[in-house]
Amino acid sequence: MDSAQPSGAPLAPRNTFSVTLAVWNALFLREAVARLSATRGAWVLIVLEPVLHACFMLLLYTVLRTRSVAGADVAVWLVLGLTGYFTVQNVFQRAMGAVDANKALFAYRQVRPIDTVIVRAGLEALLGLVILVVLLIVLAFFGHSIVPDAPMESILAFIGLMACALGIGLLLSVISELIPEAGNLTVFLFRPLYFLSGAIFPLSAISIQYREWAFYNPFAHGLELLRSSFFPVYHAAPEANFKYLFGFAAVSIFLGLALQMRFARKLRAQ
Amino acid sequence: MIVVNDVHKRYQTPHGAGRWILKGVTLTIPTQVSVGLVGRNGAGKSTLLNLIGGVDTPTRGSVERRCRVSWPMGYGGGLQGSLTGRQNAKFVSRLHGFGGAETMAEKIAYIEDFAELGSSFDEPVRTYSSGMKSRLQFGLSLAFDFDVYISDEATSAGDASFRKKAADAFKRVADRSGLIMVAHSEGTLRQFCQAGIWLNEGQAHWFDDIEDALKNYRDSISIA
Repeated sequence: MDSAQPSGAPLAPRNTFSVTLAVWNALFLREAVARLSATRGAWVLIVLEPVLHACFMLLLYTVLRTRSVAGADVAVWLVLGLTGYFTVQNVFQRAMGAVDANKALFAYRQVRPIDTVIVRAGLEALLGLVILVVLLIVLAFFGHSIVPDAPMESILAFIGLMACALGIGLLLSVISELIPEAGNLTVFLFRPLYFLSGAIFPLSAISIQYREWAFYNPFAHGLELLRSSFFPVYHAAPEANFKYLFGFAAVSIFLGLALQMRFARKLRAQ
Repeated sequence: MIVVNDVHKRYQTPHGAGRWILKGVTLTIPTQVSVGLVGRNGAGKSTLLNLIGGVDTPTRGSVERRCRVSWPMGYGGGLQGSLTGRQNAKFVSRLHGFGGAETMAEKIAYIEDFAELGSSFDEPVRTYSSGMKSRLQFGLSLAFDFDVYISDEATSAGDASFRKKAADAFKRVADRSGLIMVAHSEGTLRQFCQAGIWLNEGQAHWFDDIEDALKNYRDSISIA
């Protein structure tokens, strides 16, 4: 190495692990800046979307004179469902566009397509968590009880939801790059998930012979588990379980990683 | 040292596999030598640079980088349009392991000073002209210490005053470390390079003197 260079030059080639960490750090900050300052007040919109949605649904529910859903405080119940679902949706939809949005940065060989997907998913999950916590604190000011009954389960349910969303995001990121039409189609096909995950109605209200179909959707498991972890008395749909949630996450992440590896060269192509 | 071993490359086209652009290129490029890459349009010069830079992978064969190799400069890519020049510079600093506040500030200061973009340094890159972009790209690549720099027509952009500055900086780089460059101007190649690689019909031919590579290249186009 040449000693005449500006100081701070690493003397030896870095190992792959530290390169990956540096890439994730750089990509994370690049994504965060783009997400939070892309347009004026971008961060306001990020917070406002679930807030307005929750307020509107809350209005509907209270006009119908419901104070509790299946034994749970309706406001907390709605905030959990809506922010939980929106976070999931943001994770897989934004992860889907990650490769395309970062094409210019593949000029640096350290940056691989899969890094962009993982970092984006991580950023969205973090944003979702922050929004969820902020909204719950706001509810606490209005006198709602927001302390989870089983905090460990809340954490696990959130992690499970994010892991499933990452798995689907990984799969979609490859599919939408190889077949752009499929990307547009999935956005449209995934719309019903909003209802099917029980964001705005209790899944236990579905009659039993159809409910097992609803619970092929991992997000239905995740949201139901998240909610039941918050309330001491909550009539959750009995189908919801962690086994399916994490099983789905493991399988989808594995398939997503496999597709990413198989098509790494193609995803990189300028 | 960069070892290129029996590299074949073809691209996927919408109509199936394309023609073979590189057909068994085997080269060993020493670290301290400045090499000019010549060949007609479509001979695979940029392809070979991308393979050496690790931006693309060979269809067959392997490329081994046994030293620190830059990204292909003047590649056109490497800048995120939605981010400002400064944010792009920070990104590249972090990527190359200069994430610490002090070392990064040093790199950013160097890039800002070299690129001479003024207040545009804090404007999104998509608002830059092509000359401004290449100023930034040039500053970026010179801010980091590599054993071998890869340049794909990086010297040809910018206005006269910047070209002079860039050429001086490039000359210093070429004296200190290795350089692999593509340029269409023979003057540029003579100015910076000692050795040459002539790419012809998918094969690479090494010449210790750039003049021999240029001579072969000229002969090949006068016959055609």
